[in-house]
Amino acid sequence: MKNLSQLRAALCRLVALVIVTGALGVVPAAAQGASSGDAITVGVVMPITGREAKPGQYQKEGIELAIKQINDAGGIMVKDKGKKLLIKEVFYDDGSDSAKSAALAERVMSSDNATAVIGGYSTALGEAESVMPDRYQTPWLTAGAAATSIFSRGYKYTFGVLSPIKLLGVTTAEFLGSLVDQGKLKKGLKIALVVENTDHGVDYVNGIQEWIKAHPGYFEVVLSEKFELGGTDFSGLLQKVKTSRADIFLSDAHLQDYITMQRQYLQAGLHHQVISYGARGPESDARKALGAGTDYILAALWWSDKLPYAQAQKFITDYKAMYNRGPDSWYAATAYDAMRILAQSIEAAGTLKKDKIRDQLAKAQLKGSLLPGQVLSFGPNGQAGYPFLVVQNKPGDKTDIVYPKDAATGAAVAPIP
Amino acid sequence: MTAVDYINLLISSLLLAGIYAAMAVGMTVIYGVMKIVNLAHAGFLMLGAYFAYELFDRFHLHPMLCAALALPVFFVFGMAVHWLLVRWLPKSDTPTLASLLLMFGFWQVLQNIGNLVWGTQAYSILTPLTISSVRWGEISVPKVSLVVFAAAAASLVLLRFVFNYSWFGRSMRSLIQNPYAAQIVGVDDRRTAMLSFGLGTAFAGFAGALLATLFPFTPDFGASFQLRAFVIIVLGGLESVSGVALGALILALLETFSINLPFPWYSHGWTKVYLPASYQPAVSFVLLVVALLVLPRGVAGLLERKWRTA
Repeated sequence: MKNLSQLRAALCRLVALVIVTGALGVVPAAAQGASSGDAITVGVVMPITGREAKPGQYQKEGIELAIKQINDAGGIMVKDKGKKLLIKEVFYDDGSDSAKSAALAERVMSSDNATAVIGGYSTALGEAESVMPDRYQTPWLTAGAAATSIFSRGYKYTFGVLSPIKLLGVTTAEFLGSLVDQGKLKKGLKIALVVENTDHGVDYVNGIQEWIKAHPGYFEVVLSEKFELGGTDFSGLLQKVKTSRADIFLSDAHLQDYITMQRQYLQAGLHHQVISYGARGPESDARKALGAGTDYILAALWWSDKLPYAQAQKFITDYKAMYNRGPDSWYAATAYDAMRILAQSIEAAGTLKKDKIRDQLAKAQLKGSLLPGQVLSFGPNGQAGYPFLVVQNKPGDKTDIVYPKDAATGAAVAPIP
Repeated sequence: MTAVDYINLLISSLLLAGIYAAMAVGMTVIYGVMKIVNLAHAGFLMLGAYFAYELFDRFHLHPMLCAALALPVFFVFGMAVHWLLVRWLPKSDTPTLASLLLMFGFWQVLQNIGNLVWGTQAYSILTPLTISSVRWGEISVPKVSLVVFAAAAASLVLLRFVFNYSWFGRSMRSLIQNPYAAQIVGVDDRRTAMLSFGLGTAFAGFAGALLATLFPFTPDFGASFQLRAFVIIVLGGLESVSGVALGALILALLETFSINLPFPWYSHGWTKVYLPASYQPAVSFVLLVVALLVLPRGVAGLLERKWRTA
């Protein structure tokens, strides 16, 4: 009995500790969605804790910047209400957990009755959420998931601001092909493909393989391997890359895996004529973690702060004013445009009826978009399809757009010295 | 694969084994004496990583000095955790549900504290050693892994020395072997348990500080290492320091070689196939199941039995 009461006392202390620390962590997030009044409720489900916390935080910031600007301008004109309504954000942190992400998307669509939801960074979390929009007939936009599988199921309420990952693979291969045409790389070089074991990775490989098949003689894939997300040790896998005697190392990885793998790549003394980690490369966390170890890495991105558009430069200025730092890579920009195209579609619908907003989203064209091509629209499957940019890290923390030519801010360095 | 490739693989495995052993040994000490499966181990690893980062970043101390300083600091911290929470658990010869829940809950608390203090940004320790390696022709050894291996090996030797030649070590061993007999001959089980928990936590903090020099870390850091620590201590025999070293070596060898060596496969005739790299994490799970079924006392127990029979 004595032991039991002692245990109870210990558990009580633990519970108190959990409540104190938990409350400190949860209250600010919940409080953001606690506003009330005649407003348009937009649900935001993003990871701001866990493995995808950093990109999720950036996407949240992009959305909140757009909301602030729209609300500062008086809100969105809703014809059938006869007035402008402010946007009320209801935010939930999914903790980078797929099951939680799906549950929170369901909650925000049902209990909170959000007019629309923006969520789903990254592919795995986006896939989990993507089953909810049609079930609750609520428009859902993702600015962080681009795997083909999400948009090939015939969903009607699902919209993707990111161009398909397969196109990312095709663009990367096309860019490498252009380096061959310029004489910077030789024909027939061997490629080692090492990608994460997700639909994201599969699409990337398919894109690369598709281009190589259509352009025989340019490259040969000598190794194609997958790895688990959130890996800790890639030394065995990198040894396999070494053994393949490849000339080009192409990976498709999320931020933390990119940092860990590139660190072990350098430690293993590997060297290739070209290195890429898919859509990761210029992130400041990677630069901090690896210093000059990220120099010359190529990345195919949906957006870059080097884009010479006036609206992109204005976005950077506004972002800096709100967060006291510039946007890190592409994450905030795509989320910012997701919110803007949603606002435009609500205004065009003139009502808060979700099916009408969905119809407007399907035919929306966001002119003055930050993204390459400056116009954001969705294809018949709900996914955008604008071209990718290829950027390369250069010494001294510099990053240049190296492809396509008309957007280039510098020449590609290949082979890597 | 050439002979050099095999040597590179072997070196990778050995270095990995050193890291694995360092992070698993703290869990073994606590389980051995107290029969508590320390699910907060990952939280201690995470705090160790941040401890090293803060000293490195604020005071520009060498990361290995930070790791060394983690030993006494986390020893005291571990004893405090024992005094605050663990000592209230009912005594048992086997792991109890209450201890599992308590340590799991405490891990969640530590993670939340990590989130509050450091946020979700990934931190890492960058030194000139981080991305450099020692090279002999085609053979390449990462310098930082080499240093971490040496530190981990030294810590295991030190622990073995403490186990064998100190009063405290002998008390711990006697409690591991037979807690009732140990108490009859005058071993203070409460005091020894508190010191053991401190020692286990100290080694977890130390390992976390070492791991911080190798990997980027966030408040979630440590979870995947914790799983491997389970496999290692089950393989090693749950209560043995040398068993931990052996378990770590087996796991590291299997993880590294399993995806690099071909094995025969029958599909319309015999062919050689490679295990896809995405199956590498499954190696730990398979090994855990096999060890529990076939070697319940671990490899160390098996060797001990063979030795006695001989």
